[in-house]
Amino acid sequence: MTNNPYQDDRGNKDATITKPGTGTVVEATGTDHAMSTENAFLIGDSMTGGYGKSGPDILHDCTIAVNKGEIAVIVGPNGAGKSTAMKATFGMLHLRQGSVRLDGRDITDLTPQARVAAGMGFVPQTSNIFTSMTVEENLEMGAFIRKDDFRDTIAQIYDLFPILKEKRNQAAGELSGGQRQQVAVGRALMTQPKVLLLDEPTAGVSPIVMDELFDRIIEVARTGISILMVEQNARQALEIADKGYVLVTGRNAHTGTGKDLLADPEVRQSFLGG
Amino acid sequence: MDFLNALVVLSNFVLIPAVAYGSQLALGALGVTLIYGILRFSNFAHGDTMAFGTMLVVLITYLFQSWGISLGPLPTALLALPFGILGCMLLVLFTDRAVYRFYRQQKAKPVVLVIVSMGVMFIMNGLVRFIIGPNDQRFADGERFIISVREFKQLTGLSEGLAIRTTQGITVVTAIIVVALLFWFLNRTRTGKSMRAYSDNEDLALLSGINPERVVLYTWLIVAALATVAGTLYGLDKTFKPFTYFQLLLPIFAAAIVGGLGNPLGAIAGGFVIAFSEVTITYAWKKVLKYLLPENLEPSSLMQLISTDYKFAVSFAILVIVLLFKPTGLFKGKSV
Amino acid sequence: MSETTKNIGLFALVACLFVLTGFMQSWNASLTILNMALISAIMALGVNLQWGFAGLFNVGVMGFVALGGLATVLIGAKPVEGAWSAGGFQILLALVLGAATVVAAILAYAKLTKGRMRNIGVVAILLVGFFIYRGVFDPGVAAVEAINPATNGNLGGLNWLAAARDSDVRSADLFVLLAWPVGGLLAAGAAWIIGKTALGLRSDYLAIATLGIAEIIIAIMKNEDWLARGVKNVSGLPRPVPYEVTLQDSASFVERANALGLDATTASTLWVKTLYAGLFAVVLILMLIMAQAALKSPWGRMMRAIRDNEVAAQAMGKDVTKRHLQIFILGSAICGIAGAMMTTLDGQLTPGTYQPLRFTFLIWLMVIVGGSGNNFGAVLGGFLIYFLWIQVEPMGAWLIDVLTSGLADGNPVKEHLKDGVAYMRLMTMGIVLLLVLRFSPRGLIPEK
Repeated sequence: MTNNPYQDDRGNKDATITKPGTGTVVEATGTDHAMSTENAFLIGDSMTGGYGKSGPDILHDCTIAVNKGEIAVIVGPNGAGKSTAMKATFGMLHLRQGSVRLDGRDITDLTPQARVAAGMGFVPQTSNIFTSMTVEENLEMGAFIRKDDFRDTIAQIYDLFPILKEKRNQAAGELSGGQRQQVAVGRALMTQPKVLLLDEPTAGVSPIVMDELFDRIIEVARTGISILMVEQNARQALEIADKGYVLVTGRNAHTGTGKDLLADPEVRQSFLGG
Repeated sequence: MDFLNALVVLSNFVLIPAVAYGSQLALGALGVTLIYGILRFSNFAHGDTMAFGTMLVVLITYLFQSWGISLGPLPTALLALPFGILGCMLLVLFTDRAVYRFYRQQKAKPVVLVIVSMGVMFIMNGLVRFIIGPNDQRFADGERFIISVREFKQLTGLSEGLAIRTTQGITVVTAIIVVALLFWFLNRTRTGKSMRAYSDNEDLALLSGINPERVVLYTWLIVAALATVAGTLYGLDKTFKPFTYFQLLLPIFAAAIVGGLGNPLGAIAGGFVIAFSEVTITYAWKKVLKYLLPENLEPSSLMQLISTDYKFAVSFAILVIVLLFKPTGLFKGKSV
Repeated sequence: MSETTKNIGLFALVACLFVLTGFMQSWNASLTILNMALISAIMALGVNLQWGFAGLFNVGVMGFVALGGLATVLIGAKPVEGAWSAGGFQILLALVLGAATVVAAILAYAKLTKGRMRNIGVVAILLVGFFIYRGVFDPGVAAVEAINPATNGNLGGLNWLAAARDSDVRSADLFVLLAWPVGGLLAAGAAWIIGKTALGLRSDYLAIATLGIAEIIIAIMKNEDWLARGVKNVSGLPRPVPYEVTLQDSASFVERANALGLDATTASTLWVKTLYAGLFAVVLILMLIMAQAALKSPWGRMMRAIRDNEVAAQAMGKDVTKRHLQIFILGSAICGIAGAMMTTLDGQLTPGTYQPLRFTFLIWLMVIVGGSGNNFGAVLGGFLIYFLWIQVEPMGAWLIDVLTSGLADGNPVKEHLKDGVAYMRLMTMGIVLLLVLRFSPRGLIPEK
């Protein structure tokens, strides 16, 4: 039973009266104290915190940063807090310590929506598209906060992901796994973000599709967008990464360029299977 | 000739009433399905919302009639309809502010909202009866028929007549206009699309910068309009009686669920499926069969499968059958 | 203030309401409300079992209550002479044939291979079965309904004892008590059918299923005159307590009444109501003890475990659907028993009075306001809400009188307000529910 009586449904799952899928985004409420800032493009600086004000800490003094136009990858064993660390930079975690800064601006206390407006794009791992809407409508919804004409952005995304142009009037839910990920990335790119956060973009797709997705991600980075990515496929991800973070139990275990980490015998031993 | 006569009888007693009733159910089910899609619960107060909106229309119609305003051959209620919609919108928005919004802020589980809607149902139920009383109200005026039985017989020379009542005509025309407007809104406008997006994936909609409160506001406005229109059309076609509207909840829910909850197209299909099955199964087929069968086979009984008192049973049976074979409804539900 | 004292205080407060009614209105009025409140509390216990323990959303309480009422007629009423031989057995045969048709269709569906042949076969079985059923059923009904239609025209009950007795002597008849468990069984049977279909599906559809079945049960009771005379009502049902007139004729009773300073008429009505209250209280206490025992038993703990985490319970090998079906049947049976008790109290069955607001949603209100998941809460809610349901009207009338005292009699506003008083209780109930949900969402006596 939860402590909040309003969230106690007694396990009722009667689909005739209630529709599953209530929003689960819990907005972070800030650290309640002022932050010092320094220059960095996106940096989650010495973050300590967990879900909810009273939840146990999941991150412990964890720092994640990405430079302009570069790809940073977070890897680590299961339950290391990889996704949590990324969500923390996006305002979906209650931080007790540390700060998050975007292009020098302290955004620690902003809501996720405000961070989108500030120039961040986020692609969740699951349910990251509007399945019942067409590909084009998905992109339009991505641009919801834009008041200007975004047709050229759509055109750019179609250039980047030509298959989407072909299927633009098809419901996104009918596409294959790899295509859905492209829609998800495309949707996040519609706000023309300066940083793109990807939570395991290659989860559940075939190796060939994975390679193609990585190629696209590199292409996105070349346009000057910084990319912060959580990946299960550590080896492939580190190969394309400018910077890699290995997290263990919510702490920074190893940090370095992708190549360094791949070469590091300790990292190879423990995380890359030798 | 016999075949034509049979067809006319069929149209007169089955097709036309079912189309009119189906349109009314469809409009009601659309309201239920929109709330289910966006606010994620089944609104038990929907029947009473319909009753409230219709009550306003009835009262304003009486006022206009006392002023001598009329629409000529059309019912005065059409003139009163916009005011009724406006009043219903105000009530529904007030309810959302005073009641439902709190639970959204608490991120309450949908089933809590269902129980809350029971409370709202009690209040609206009492409110309507308090203002207008529990009795029947006939408020249809103007021309009674588009085409009457006598005119039809003279026109065609057939022995059976066909009557189309004005209210039936208005029901179908209004329903088509309203549904077209709604689909245009949901599929073509930015706000409409944002409503569909929110219904599809609340988290992602939030991350896309869609303001949930705005989506909810528009939803209630549309639902109030749909409920008032559906209720007024039903009242014009039959009569307005608060208890009947409360009872409409069952066929309306059945229609929405049969079609696939949360799917507007499904709500419309469901409305007609329920209406047609109710009317055909409770219709006495003797008159139609009289023309179609050779004389010696003519049925002696009324050939009525089930008495009209069991029309609820019909909608319910259809519902169970559909759910047994297609658990998400005819159209895949849960997506506006 | 400890939890127990608070709860005792709440019950005492509700008791005060009844005592106050006794002093301010009359003890007769107070006992009348109390009797129905006792029955309502039992209904609330049933719904609480389903919603509070298992999270099952039953919005067809009315149907189960009505089935209980039907049982009172079928068991407690005198048999109608010749009804069974005229058409009763034929009707029974028709019902068996109808059931056989449905079973045959289900079997055919399960056994035959998928394809057009199966569909045609199933439809054919249903169609042929339906016409056979109607062919047997209709004449039987006609024969039964032809028997003395002004007073009977129905099958009547199974109370042969009453038939053998001299009809002029009005005495207590304990046979009718048998109708209470039978009412429970009838409701349980209906619940089994609903639960089997609605709970077995991928996600459950219990809410709409119960909503629909309740309406259907009422429709059957209103229209099938052979069963319980439909809207023509069955009245004069035997009762388990003595009749007032009999008491008034008894010299010893009159003497005792006079000794207490009461006139015989008042004393007899009070005594009859008190006897009823005693009977109902015994049932309520029994139910409460059983519900508490169930709650604390391993079975109850498992129920709550399933409710709080169905996935984990399933992983531990619990058959969730089966448990849900059990508790749904049990809760519905309790509502059926309460329904039978209510019809016994009324002495008549009036299908037209069964309304979802009164018999489904009001019971829900009792459970929510009292405290879902807590048996004592449900009982308290039953007492409190039923008391309000009855007393809000006179209170509202008094309030309107005060508020409009400045207006002349016959003033249209005043008249309209007076006419509307009856509906103020609907609004009040809604407001009470919303206030409790908002400020005390777990109810007055929350689940521990």
